[in-house]
Amino acid sequence: MSTVQIPPPRVSLATLPLDQKRGMHGMWCVIATESMLFVTMFAAYYYLGSNKDRWADLVAPKWWLALILMVILLASSAVLMWGEHQVKKGGFTAARIALWVTVLMGLGFLALQGFEYAVEWKDTTPYSDSYGSIFYAITSLHALHVIAGLLLLMYVGVMPRYGPTARTPHKPYTTVGMYWHFVDAVWVFIVLLLYIIPNLQRYMHVHH
Amino acid sequence: MASSTTTISRLTTLWESPKTVYGWFATVDHKTLGIRYLVTAFSFLILGGLEALLMRIQLFHSDMSVLTPEQYNQIFTMHGMTMIFWYAQPILSGFAVFLVPLMIGARDMAFPRLNAFTYWMFLLSGLFLYISPFLGQAPHAGWFAYVPYTLTEFSPGMGLDFYAAALIFLTISTTGGAINFIVTILRMRAPGMAISRMPLFLYSTGTISFVTLFALPALTADCIFLELDRRWGTHFFGIADGGSTFLWQQLFWFFGHPWVYIIFLPATGMLSMIVPVFSRRPIVGYPFVAIATFLTGVVGFGVWLHHMFTTGMSDIAMSIFSAGSMTVSIFTTIQVFAWLATIWKGRPVATTAMYYAVGSIVLLVIGGLSGVFTGVIPVDWQAHNTYFVVGHIHYVLIGSNVFPVFAGFYYWIPKMSGRMMNEKIGKLSFWVMFIGFNLGFFPMQNVGLLGMVRRIYTYPQGVGFDGMNELITFGAFLFGIGVLISICNFFYSMKSGARAGENPWNADTLEWSTSSPPKAYGSEHIPLVATRHPLWDDFDEEEDPENDRVLDWGRLTPTSTVLDAIPVGVATIPEDSLAPLLMSLALFGFFLAIIYQMMWWTLSALILTLLIGCFWMWPRTKEEVVIE
Repeated sequence: MSTVQIPPPRVSLATLPLDQKRGMHGMWCVIATESMLFVTMFAAYYYLGSNKDRWADLVAPKWWLALILMVILLASSAVLMWGEHQVKKGGFTAARIALWVTVLMGLGFLALQGFEYAVEWKDTTPYSDSYGSIFYAITSLHALHVIAGLLLLMYVGVMPRYGPTARTPHKPYTTVGMYWHFVDAVWVFIVLLLYIIPNLQRYMHVHH
Repeated sequence: MASSTTTISRLTTLWESPKTVYGWFATVDHKTLGIRYLVTAFSFLILGGLEALLMRIQLFHSDMSVLTPEQYNQIFTMHGMTMIFWYAQPILSGFAVFLVPLMIGARDMAFPRLNAFTYWMFLLSGLFLYISPFLGQAPHAGWFAYVPYTLTEFSPGMGLDFYAAALIFLTISTTGGAINFIVTILRMRAPGMAISRMPLFLYSTGTISFVTLFALPALTADCIFLELDRRWGTHFFGIADGGSTFLWQQLFWFFGHPWVYIIFLPATGMLSMIVPVFSRRPIVGYPFVAIATFLTGVVGFGVWLHHMFTTGMSDIAMSIFSAGSMTVSIFTTIQVFAWLATIWKGRPVATTAMYYAVGSIVLLVIGGLSGVFTGVIPVDWQAHNTYFVVGHIHYVLIGSNVFPVFAGFYYWIPKMSGRMMNEKIGKLSFWVMFIGFNLGFFPMQNVGLLGMVRRIYTYPQGVGFDGMNELITFGAFLFGIGVLISICNFFYSMKSGARAGENPWNADTLEWSTSSPPKAYGSEHIPLVATRHPLWDDFDEEEDPENDRVLDWGRLTPTSTVLDAIPVGVATIPEDSLAPLLMSLALFGFFLAIIYQMMWWTLSALILTLLIGCFWMWPRTKEEVVIE
């Protein structure tokens, strides 16, 4: 045969370090497919909204609680990033504290979202019309992701010395952290698409 | 290569699952799991085939009453779901699970326990779906389950709840499998197997894994909406409350058309492996085939509206999606011409696998041409709801999935079992299948153009469909007999076939460098790859006199960079575990409880799932491997 032969560089396999990246690569794939789940949901939101008044201007949702929720989640992400930084430096106790602070902030998010449902959304329910159905579907699906993220974080929080060492096949702290950042980023899109833009549309409609 | 009994015995102890009941249920060996995938998916093929034959008996003559309309609808739906979801994709996963690590010279998949989990999820989701016929309430709205017929108003039974839940159940399995393939193919290739040297089967499996990640969520969301509308009182699809019936179709086909490529591309990948080996030369246009494979996956996302041309849409949307459908046929054509040129320029060997491969090219071209018909909008408006489309889909799916799968079986079973399949019986089976298939499905296109409507349990007398339908039923049974001959051939050959040896076909890829059947650890020395055809080209530096590439102090396999496959690390492979099986059983309970709205059971099953997950992931010190 006449194909070109280029031998790989001579590397001694026996001396290579332990691979710790597979977990993170798997997590990236999870994030890709979960993002697509939310993209689908947003597409359904716009598809249901096409040719209807509601999305455009009738009742735009109040956005101030959603913004506070966003601040909570982004702050929790910042705390967790500080924790990841600590893990890299070897400050495992500080990392564990950062993780549990993140968990508390996540729980705060869930409580406040429950409050928002109960107060701001008591007239619109999943059963009232298609707007209520898709709004609750998206936000509660996100809440389920928050719960999943919290469970993962808590699991890493009680893991014995596993995350931090250099001799283990995975890096659970950073891997789970990436999932948490993803969940937070989704909320930013929810705020933008489900809260801010309808308000902008309403503003444009009223003033022009 | 240097080989010593000590390293071999160490590797065997490390990698072999114990031959106990525990070992049977807990194994994470990709070879065992791959064969299980194949056996399970093939069983679903037989099940779906029997359902098809029942339908053909009902349609043998006009106005027959072998089946009631409701029974016909249920069997017709179960046939579609079984074939499309539980046979066509999982059987390709089965080949990939078995072959991908061997082809890339790795010792297992990137996530072996996830691999076991996805197998059990696949099996249990299939069993879950098949609970419903025993309740007399199988889904009855086709595999596409269009609303509003599928809402509780018109379909009050549990059938469509089983439909939605079983599909979400299966989606978890398929997504997990896709993640596993992506990380395995991109990260675990043997040193030197640069991306330009990968076997083409890996391109197709990798492509469809990415497609899976981006297409399946649409189905998941759709099924969630359907279940919420059916049992929880929401308004996604009901027009009266602002819902949209077309939301279902949009999401379903956004998933559905990429799914066609998910069950098509790996099969073409298998052809791209088999055709060159039996043409005794490298494939013509390797880079074009690789790129065409990838682009099929990408452009496959831009054609879904062609399933909906008759629902009414703007001219510009129709033009774009018609053009997209035409574009995608270009990439398939590139592959077909590459195979033809390979046969043309090579010295073809007429083995059974090659018979099936060439047969599938023929069927694929016929099916592809009728696909071009339906891609043209005026023709589609005429033919859309007729048997023309049924004929088309079966030409494409059987031509591009069943025949390549049989080619794959005849090609790789010697590797999996260590015994050759009988060639004479195999060729007989091919001819019976091929003739039966064409007798059965070509007339479908004719009766379709004459106006026979699809998805209906019977047809009126005196409109001239009877003769053709007798022929179709005859062909369908002949096709079934052809499949049966191959099954008999399998059992006969497993008992008395010739020993296969390492490389019976003189093939070029790495899976043929292992023994047949492969050892639990694959090959003793991790291979070093310098060309696209490692077993055809000699390579001086392959020797491993210092046992550097044995890695026998743990369950280890090297990881490498994505493009050039330069080794960068050593990955540990986890040991056998019961957790994957237990977790899928818990999820089985979860899905069963949630469609019957037993909330306490649902919650308990969910908590049980989480606890099993904790047990699964809990770090155990003895699994750690010290590399300083």
